Parts: sequence; structure tokens; C-alpha cells
Amino acid sequence: MGNKFYTPDGFTDLIPGLCACKRGLENKLRALYSLHGYDEIETPGVEYCDLYTASGFVPEEELYKFTDSAGRLLCTRYDGTVPAVRFIAGRNETFPVRISYIENMFRAGKTGGGKQSGFTQGGIELMGAKGAGSDAEVLAIAIKSALELGLTDLQISIGQVEFFAGLKRQMNLTDEQAQDIREAINRRDSVTIDKQSLSREDRDILLAMTEMSGTYDVLDYFLPKVTDEGAKGALTELKEILDILEKYGFLKYITIDLGLIGSEEYYTGMIFKGFTYEVGFPIISGGRYDDVSKAFGKDISSVGFSISLTLALTALIRQDKLVTSPAASVIVGGDYEAASAAVEALRAEGTAAILDTTGLSEDELNSYAQAKGIETVMYLNGGED
Amino acid sequence: MLTIALSKGRLAEQTLDLMEKAGYDVSAAREKSRKLILEDGKSGLRFILAKPADVPTYVELGAADIGVVGKDTLLEEGRQLYEVIDLGFGKCRMCVAGPAALKDKLDDIPNKRVGTKYPNITRNYFEGVKKESVEIIKLNGSVELAPLTGLAEVIVDIVESGRTLYENGLEVLETVADISARVVVNRVSMKMKEDEIKPMISKLRQALSEGEANT
Repeated sequence: MGNKFYTPDGFTDLIPGLCACKRGLENKLRALYSLHGYDEIETPGVEYCDLYTASGFVPEEELYKFTDSAGRLLCTRYDGTVPAVRFIAGRNETFPVRISYIENMFRAGKTGGGKQSGFTQGGIELMGAKGAGSDAEVLAIAIKSALELGLTDLQISIGQVEFFAGLKRQMNLTDEQAQDIREAINRRDSVTIDKQSLSREDRDILLAMTEMSGTYDVLDYFLPKVTDEGAKGALTELKEILDILEKYGFLKYITIDLGLIGSEEYYTGMIFKGFTYEVGFPIISGGRYDDVSKAFGKDISSVGFSISLTLALTALIRQDKLVTSPAASVIVGGDYEAASAAVEALRAEGTAAILDTTGLSEDELNSYAQAKGIETVMYLNGGED
Repeated sequence: MLTIALSKGRLAEQTLDLMEKAGYDVSAAREKSRKLILEDGKSGLRFILAKPADVPTYVELGAADIGVVGKDTLLEEGRQLYEVIDLGFGKCRMCVAGPAALKDKLDDIPNKRVGTKYPNITRNYFEGVKKESVEIIKLNGSVELAPLTGLAEVIVDIVESGRTLYENGLEVLETVADISARVVVNRVSMKMKEDEIKPMISKLRQALSEGEANT
């Protein structure tokens, strides 16, 4: 092995200083989730591969796989939601259940631009809870999470997958046509939509989906144009969510974006993504996933979100909002006995301090402190102090 | 400040012409120099000149907000981007080509060998659309040589006029996709810089439709 100093592709070490910053961020999220009554769980990080692949939640090639001693196929944790549903579905719970997690996720695939194969996500799941009130609670906590981490330049886009499902019925689209249009809307590709054989009204609705963003105005634009009950219901529900978020004073972070339709298998209702400057990828992702529990033979209406702490850390660094510093602000050296007494006194006051255990001279101690970025140097002479 | 990634060469020139028509000051990008980043403080635009195949990468990862690149590169790279305008120029077709004798007989050859610069497009076409396995041979240029030398039965490549094919005794056998230049936008920039990007999109569309009306 010629590469013993290097980490595998897509994975990095977290350097001193930065690691402390990340732990700080994790603790902020932990406190926030707990304040809202979400109990933290820890899943093992290793799952049966089937958990993700059997119901098509995750493409097989995006999982890191290995086998257990009995030859069964295992994989590393891909996300927080599916293991959480597995855990709750296997228990006799009184619903609603509120759980949270802060864990490392592993995704094989394209990386770059701050996106890693191994990264940390914090998230919550509100399970066994329907309705706009539950959706809005999760959205509000998602926004609070970003603000708590210091990401104040925040944009949250909210969509509703039932809206397009309704339009498909209203416009009598074939499955194949609907699939083409769905992909086109996901790419904001007006060219493909223009080329479809559709009535002028239908085409205008679909094109507006790729372009319009706003809040109440977007909903008001589409509402008179839809006749399908499901699509109408989707819009009314989004309106209820906006009403609640307005009370939180969070409307300024929000845009309704009906072009956000995600992957059909997973999400069943409201869906959202969160963006900030300086990272090319959404840092927040969430929505309603009522059908995931069906893979476990249960019927648990659920909604949740996750925020990438790894991307958040990158964004904070690039936005100059993060200062890293070493754990200790003081180093004490010189006479060993005097120094150890002094250093313990400092620690008793709550000052993080290092004791020189290697007998450095005053000059050596100064240059060591400089190299390590330690602010204060105390060099004590035995007996004289 | 918007960062725009242009594909070096004729596509970049055509894009700048269109932007000028749309009312943008692109004089910074026209300067004849070896600089790869051309910035204009006044207009709030920064241009980067990249190799075409790299443009989707710059835009997906957020190093550029907007990019202009051929649909062929987009199909090959398969990046997650918003693809907002078909600029109409740089028009050509992605085709399966080979000896004229193979016309309409393509399906009869099992386990074809296909020479191409576009292995992903080729795989998606044969596996996804035609539902058959092929052996893909990645080449970096003069792809027409492959069927002539017996390296492969057919090729998948861009065809503009078809002249190179014709002069080498080859013919278009099937069309994979129509290609033209596209404007792509980073998904985060579309949200975070909406106030700058959306007006640019509508101005470019306007300039395009005016151009079409004049020709």
C-alpha cells in the first residue's frame, strides 16, 4: 500500500480547530432539537443492504457494501430517515413520535464543490403526524437550524409533489409523457416542455412551474387554473403552511417553487430544499414521506428534514463567519512544579491551558506557542515566583 | 456579481454577440489576451473561459453561476443543472454512423463495437433506448477511423453537415439526439441570485426571438 497517508476518495479528516467548530455546530443543533421535544437516537451505521434497495429508495451503486460473517449483504448508513423509520416501525409506539439524529452518512458517487462521500447530517423526523401544522413545524425547525448555525443568508424553496400528480390527471398525460415532463421540470428545461404536444393552456401551466417563484402570488396564479382536486388540495395545503410560517416571521426566507417535484417514490406531499451562498448544493432537504413506512408493513404518516453540517461548515468558512482557534489559550512552562501548580489554578478558573511536559527553554516555549497559535505564554522560574 | 462560464471557441463568440444584443456590456470578455478570467466591475459580470466539457462542472459545483455549453456535453456529463434556454446555434445531431451497407441492418449485428468520444451518451442510447449491450471503445478524435480500420462496426458522434462521413464512405444510420447550445444555471444561484439571473434569462430570450424574427 503506497497510500498510507491518504484518505479514500470522497473522505477527509477534520483538522484540529475545524473539528471543534463542527462539534460546536452539532451541539447547537442538538440543543435546538431537544428544545422542540425531539429525542435523539443513534442507529448503528451499518444496515442490511435490502433496507435501502428493496423498495428502490436508493440506487444500489450509491451504497458502500460489504458482507457480514454469514455472507449477508450489508451497507453503510446512507441517510437518517430510512433507518429511523425502520427503528420506529419495529416498535410499539404511541404516535406522534419526535426523533432526531446527528450522524455520518456515506454515499458513493459524484463529489466535489464541498460535497463529500462521507458527511454529517443533523435531522428530525415527526412520525405519525399529518397535516399542515406538522409540515410547518418541521419547516420552522429547519429554518431555525440554519439560523442557529449562523447561516442567515437563507432561501427555502417549498414544493408539493401532489400538484404535478394532479396535473398529470388533469392534462391526461401518459406515464411516458409525464416522466419526460417531470424530468424537464426538474431541470427547469422549458425547451422540452415547449416541444410536447399539449394545449396552449396546459403548456403555459407547465412552463410557469419551471419559472415562477414567490409566496402567496404563486399559489393565487395557479389556483384558478387547476381543476383536479388533488392539485387544488396541494395548493390549499401550501397556503396553510405559509399562514403558519408567517406567524413565526419566517416568510422572508421562503419561496414557493412548484417546479420542485423530487423523486416520486419517496416524497408524497410537501417537499423543500434550503440554499445559502458559496456552496453549489442545497444544504437542507426535507419533506413528507407517508409511504416509506409501507416498506416495513406499517402506515405511519411522516415528515422530516436534514441539514448537512459538512456543507454548512464549508459555507460558514467561505462566508467568513467562522474563526478557528486551538483548544488552549495559555501554555505554561519553566520550573515543572511551579508550572503545574499554575496550570491547575488556570484550569480551575475555566481557562484552557497546556502544561509543558518536555522542559522547553523560554525561547523554545515562545516559538512553540507561536507555531501552535497559542495566545499567552507563561514561563515560570522555580522558587523566585 | 454573476460568473458566466463560456465554452472556448466559436460558441463563446456567438454567446457574447447575443449578450450584447440583449443589452449587456461584454467588452471585458472581448479583450484579446491570454487571461482566463475576464471581469467587468461596471456590468457586474465575470467571464471564465473553460474547455467545453468542463463548463457543466464549473456550473454544477457553483464556481460559475451560469454556463453556455452544447447539449452534447450536457448529455455526456449528466450533471445536475437547470437547463433554461435553447440558444439555437451550434446546431447539429448526435448520430450512430457506419458503412452505408449497414443501413437498416444495425439491429442484426449482435454485441456491436462502438467507437465514440461520448461513452455515456452511447451507453444510455444503446442500453436505455435500444435495450441492447454494446462494447464501447472510447476514442479522443477522428472517430471516423474506427469503422474504416475495423476497430469498431459503428461510431456515435456529432454530425453537422455529414461531409466528413460522406468523404470517408460512411453514413448516418440513426439519430440519437438533436444538439444545440444551451444556457445552464447552477441550482443554488437560481435561488440566491434570482434578481440578477431571471432578468438575464428573459433578456436573452427576447434577443433570441428578435434575432429569429429578423432572419
